[in-house]
Amino acid sequence: MKKSKVKVSSSEKEFTFEFRAGRQRCVLRVPLQFPARSPVHEEVRDLHGRLMLLHRMPCFVEEDLKNALTSFIQRETLEDYEREAEEALQRLTTGEVDIDMLANTWAKAYSETTLEHARPEEPSWDEDFANVYHELIHSPASDTLLNLEHNYFLSISELISERDMELKKLQERQAAEMDSVMQELGKSLSDQDVNAVASQHFDAQQVLENKWANELKQVTAIQKQEYQEWVIKLHQDLQNPNNSTINEEIKVMPSQLTEPPDPGARLFEEQRQLEESFTIHLGAQLKTMHNLRLVRADVLDFCKHRRHGSSGVKLRRLQTALSLYSTSLCGLVLLVDNRVNSYSGIKRDFATVSKECTDFHFLLLEEQLEVVQQVVLYARAQRSSKQRDQPEVPRNGGNEDKAKNLERNPSNILPGEFYISRHSNLSDVHVVFHLCVDDNVRSGNITARDPAIMGLRNILKVCCTHDITTITVPLLLVHDMSEEMTIPWCLKRAELVFKCVKGFMMEMASWDGGISRTVQFLVPQSEHAPGRMEPSVNQKPSPAIAVHPLCPSGSGQ
Amino acid sequence: MPPMKDARLGASTFFASALPHDICGSNGLPLTPNSIKILGRFQILKTVSHPRLCRYVDISRGKHERLIVVAEHYERSLEDFQRAGKPVSQDKVLQVAYEILEGLEFMNKHGMMHRALAPRNVLMDCRGNVKLAKFGLYHMTNHGADVDFPIGYPSYLAPEVIAKGPSRPSDCSHGELPRPSGPKVDVWSLGILLFELCVGRRLLQSFDISERLKFILTLGCMDDIVTVLAEEHGCLDVIKELPENVLTLLRKCLTFQPSRRPTPSELLKDPALQEVSHLYTPFRKPVSLFSSSLRCAYLELPEDISELCQDEGEEYLAERSIEEVYHLWCLAGGDLEKELTNKEIIQSKPPICTLPNFLLEDGECFGQGRDRSFLLDDTTITLSLCQLKNRLKDVTGEAYYPLLDDEQSSLPQSNSSSELSAAVALPLVIRERDTEYQLLRIVLFDRLLQAYPYKKNQVWKEARVDIPPLLRGLTWAALLGIEGDIQAKYDGIDKDTPIPTDRQIEVDIPRCHQYDELLSSPQGHMKFRRVLKAWVVSHPDLVYWQGLDSLCAPFLYLNFNNEALAYACMSAFIPKYLYNFFLKDNSHVIQEYLTVFSQMIAFHDPELSNHLNEIGFIPDLYAIPWFLTMFTHVFPLHKIFHLWDTLLLGNSSFPFCIGVAILQQLRDRLLANGFNECILLFSDLPEIDIERCVRESINLFCWTPKSATYRQHAQPPKVAGDNNGFGKTPSYYSSDYQDLPKTDLSREPLKLSELKAESSPRISAEDLIDLCELSGSGHCKAPTKKTKSSKPKILAVDIRSSEDFSRGHIPGSINIPYSTAFGPDGELVQCPATSTLQSFRGRVIVIVSHAVMRAATFAAHLVKVNYPRVCILDGGINKMKFTGLLTVPSPQI
Repeated sequence: MKKSKVKVSSSEKEFTFEFRAGRQRCVLRVPLQFPARSPVHEEVRDLHGRLMLLHRMPCFVEEDLKNALTSFIQRETLEDYEREAEEALQRLTTGEVDIDMLANTWAKAYSETTLEHARPEEPSWDEDFANVYHELIHSPASDTLLNLEHNYFLSISELISERDMELKKLQERQAAEMDSVMQELGKSLSDQDVNAVASQHFDAQQVLENKWANELKQVTAIQKQEYQEWVIKLHQDLQNPNNSTINEEIKVMPSQLTEPPDPGARLFEEQRQLEESFTIHLGAQLKTMHNLRLVRADVLDFCKHRRHGSSGVKLRRLQTALSLYSTSLCGLVLLVDNRVNSYSGIKRDFATVSKECTDFHFLLLEEQLEVVQQVVLYARAQRSSKQRDQPEVPRNGGNEDKAKNLERNPSNILPGEFYISRHSNLSDVHVVFHLCVDDNVRSGNITARDPAIMGLRNILKVCCTHDITTITVPLLLVHDMSEEMTIPWCLKRAELVFKCVKGFMMEMASWDGGISRTVQFLVPQSEHAPGRMEPSVNQKPSPAIAVHPLCPSGSGQ
Repeated sequence: MPPMKDARLGASTFFASALPHDICGSNGLPLTPNSIKILGRFQILKTVSHPRLCRYVDISRGKHERLIVVAEHYERSLEDFQRAGKPVSQDKVLQVAYEILEGLEFMNKHGMMHRALAPRNVLMDCRGNVKLAKFGLYHMTNHGADVDFPIGYPSYLAPEVIAKGPSRPSDCSHGELPRPSGPKVDVWSLGILLFELCVGRRLLQSFDISERLKFILTLGCMDDIVTVLAEEHGCLDVIKELPENVLTLLRKCLTFQPSRRPTPSELLKDPALQEVSHLYTPFRKPVSLFSSSLRCAYLELPEDISELCQDEGEEYLAERSIEEVYHLWCLAGGDLEKELTNKEIIQSKPPICTLPNFLLEDGECFGQGRDRSFLLDDTTITLSLCQLKNRLKDVTGEAYYPLLDDEQSSLPQSNSSSELSAAVALPLVIRERDTEYQLLRIVLFDRLLQAYPYKKNQVWKEARVDIPPLLRGLTWAALLGIEGDIQAKYDGIDKDTPIPTDRQIEVDIPRCHQYDELLSSPQGHMKFRRVLKAWVVSHPDLVYWQGLDSLCAPFLYLNFNNEALAYACMSAFIPKYLYNFFLKDNSHVIQEYLTVFSQMIAFHDPELSNHLNEIGFIPDLYAIPWFLTMFTHVFPLHKIFHLWDTLLLGNSSFPFCIGVAILQQLRDRLLANGFNECILLFSDLPEIDIERCVRESINLFCWTPKSATYRQHAQPPKVAGDNNGFGKTPSYYSSDYQDLPKTDLSREPLKLSELKAESSPRISAEDLIDLCELSGSGHCKAPTKKTKSSKPKILAVDIRSSEDFSRGHIPGSINIPYSTAFGPDGELVQCPATSTLQSFRGRVIVIVSHAVMRAATFAAHLVKVNYPRVCILDGGINKMKFTGLLTVPSPQI
């Protein structure tokens, strides 16, 4: 019998059984383990069989032995229960356990876990809005909603292009000015003067950018408020059948999204065509089906809306809106550095994209990041206090430099950790996992134990617990290609990620009962086209699954 | 199983506590989720059946560790009395007390405590009898360790329970788990409950929880708890007026010291309850199908038989057991989660709103508020049977009581019988989901199995149509001929003493069909271990080979609450289909088996066989796990069930046909690929359409002459009289070749090397005579008459020289002399006889010659040119000479 991990104090008690065989008096003494492992009657059945067999008991005592065993085990078990109970009560009277503390633990246990005793929930605007929106988007009003969203999007787009124009103009003017200044350099103007002009230019640019940023923010906020109010009103009106003006309005509003497709969009679509889908079956006996897609695209292509889309754009928008509050979300893994902000690199690009369209449901990206920053600090504080409590448990040995890094700047995050942002305004994605990676991933040799890979595993776990059924993962764990990423490097990296993701997916099947998922592997746009990767991909659907081979056991050998 | 009567189906839900992230078990495998642990522990509750307890019916796992429990339910409960706010009459109090105690005593006998005894869990059926609900919660949650919420209600907790503190798993992760509560805690709860009934109001309602618990704990210092409680609630006068026996009862229940408080069984015998105890007869457990005692021992028929028919009314469904009704409810489109969502018991937030903000590398989440929808709401909702009743409204009353004595008509003769015979033609998957059809099948099988073994023949007959999933376990047992007191036999086996095989079993179990919730639960592992050990210990001549675990899985799954039956089925299955496969040195058995298998491939699919032989992809490389585990290692359980439903009806050579059928499904891919790809393909067997596989293997089986699969290492014939009178009438295909009486014309054992040398199977002269329908001879020993259509068409090819042929040959045979048959490239030389052969392509071709060697070579040639169904006459023409069946052609030519 396997020992259970939680120790239960067990004791041995001697069972005595007497019987007569002819003139002989026989006594059977057996030590029995308490508490019994299984219910009394089962325990008796087993023990009885064993005792009869091992001690060669005569068959005429069979019934007697059974009865004696039953009553013995019952009596002893009951005694154990009583002793335990009395001891517990004793602890109270001796003051070993504090009555108030005890009562409070119970009260806490009840109020934290049962609806009956829990504090009533304060109404949450977010959730109410979520319900209302989910209902509306699944009703005939969805068309109106989408049109409205699109109109808001267009006005933001106009604003952005205006901003870009003005910025461009400013830059041109400044460039011209700078040119003339440079010509005068050494003649009438000194280096200092040039520097002054440059900083003046920079300031002007900053001022303009800030102005636009503020304006954008303002417009966005207004749009969001208008939109939310309108949605709530629409919902109320729809619930009230007498008021049919809104219904009329829905009918009257023409579909404005049927614009002629512009050539740029088509070009884009064609570029996206570089993708290939696979259906795989995972599992030894019971197979679960999953979809894999290998896509060559830029990671932000999953976020950007086409400004003047073909009809497919509207469908995609509808698709994303329909599933926003559903149980099939779409996620995207974005590889970021160790700072929670949106100032540089891909983070900045992503932030720009996320501003192209108003998010009518969730906080602005910056606000979300602020929250994340708070949570990170809180998490660090939690961890360090826990570590102080249990200093004997070393966490992942050899992480001293990591710990040092943290002490220096606790608001930074470590490789393998990730934060999550939510969006309703991206084209294909609801959830973005910002996975922190370091420069290691650009080097050739990372292993399955690399923090980035462990981060992927945790991401897939969150997908599991939060019904994210489509996830897009950068296959090579980089967003853009560079010189050192040769084809062998790519193949090796792809194989590693494939293997690990496959392992995690099989693991997931045991968590969620094998829900079918779609995993999209993203390859950066570069000369390494997916076509060249194919051999390694084809290996994925049919790797040998480690089932135990049939061979004789070690019995009797 | 008792009929459902006026019971309802109730559903309630709760969450198992989530596991700490990233912790491995001691064996390095991931920890079992708590919901699966609960699911495993739940199973035994289904067998706890007592008139005072609500039967547990089913448990199912939802997303995110949610569990939904289905149990017998009633709308009325003791809470109704409380709401009325009036004291209850003392007779009623005594009745309630006695009935609750009956229920508690029965539970205690099964090693269970209630722990959540409260008015809302004491339900009343329509006759006002007590039914305890939620009595298994404490048991299935491993004494509360696997859930976050405390079990029990604050006002009703016994003092010692409070003293031990709530058993939150997080609190005791490093310390010892608090010992579970004993039977006496329920007696305290009962005391409080009775007190409330007596005074007609609820206790301690004005305090908040911690005050309440403190108050209960302070009762320890009081002399007279009943009086103190009464004073506290201002109802001393009511208490004072209570009769003496009720007061005694209350005092005994509300004894502070556990050691002085009586147990339920002691209390039942208490004089205070004497007044009511004589009204009740002790409960007798109904005798199960396999037991040593007489099943009809306590059967009492009324004087007038017609009395039995009176009280029924129109509700036929109410006479079925609750398990059947629930099964049908599910088939009729019942959806537990939807019902609970409609009643707003399940309230889930959109997942996007509950995402965490930040995750550490080890997976710990931060920034995720506690989701209120995960709180416990222990309301039980009633599942409406309207939809089911609507589906079944056309089923006549006769259908619920089919007559069994008529051997001719299998299905009840009702209006819908024509529809039903049409239903039989539908695919199995559809039949298994058809509510009405399943009802009729379940009713029929239920009756047949109750009449087992007397109605064994009819079970066989009906099983050929299909087996209702609900009764599959018992039906299989019936097909395997299980009889006798299996429990006593199983109990007599020592399953505890360590044996050397333990280590291997321990390694294999966590890898065997673990996608299944039942088999991956700790209870499942324990049962696996016990059944496997029992088998190993009780078969000293055989050993444990890896694969035995897979073989055990379907039986254990179907008989999860009956290890003895699982063991008995497995012990009956192995000698029938896997005779001597589990010998320590089983190579001769396996080798012979595989050789016969490759002959069967050549027999049924020469093209595939040629290809596989060419690339060297021999059965040894892939088929050993197929046959050693009878395909349980390669298929998931639901497919195994359909496969074995048919396998159990066939004889021991049926598995060959299944093997060939599987190969044929993969035919195109095998033919297109070389050795390496084939190995890769079989290392992870692709999806197989199991219904097609079954259909095709039956077809293949019908085309296979019985003696073609003769194996000398098969199970030797059983001793006559084994069938003790109830024996099934053996049909041609279901009986084993080995079981038939042996004559001169039967096949003779071959050396393995000889067998391996031949690519086509041999058949016996007996079979040839039988299949050619050469009558008029007393030698024909075919056991039964069979219809012509079920027999394969046959063509005998005589390869002796034409002179020999003209001296005497088998009627209907054609002559293709060996020497002239094939051209230099191995192709058939054109002549009238070969064109006859060509035109009969597809028939079973029996090669007849003097010497078997030649016939074998000839057969090999035919296989090479892709002739299917080629076999050789064992012993050659000489065997036939003495039968007097050879004819001499009239000298016309």
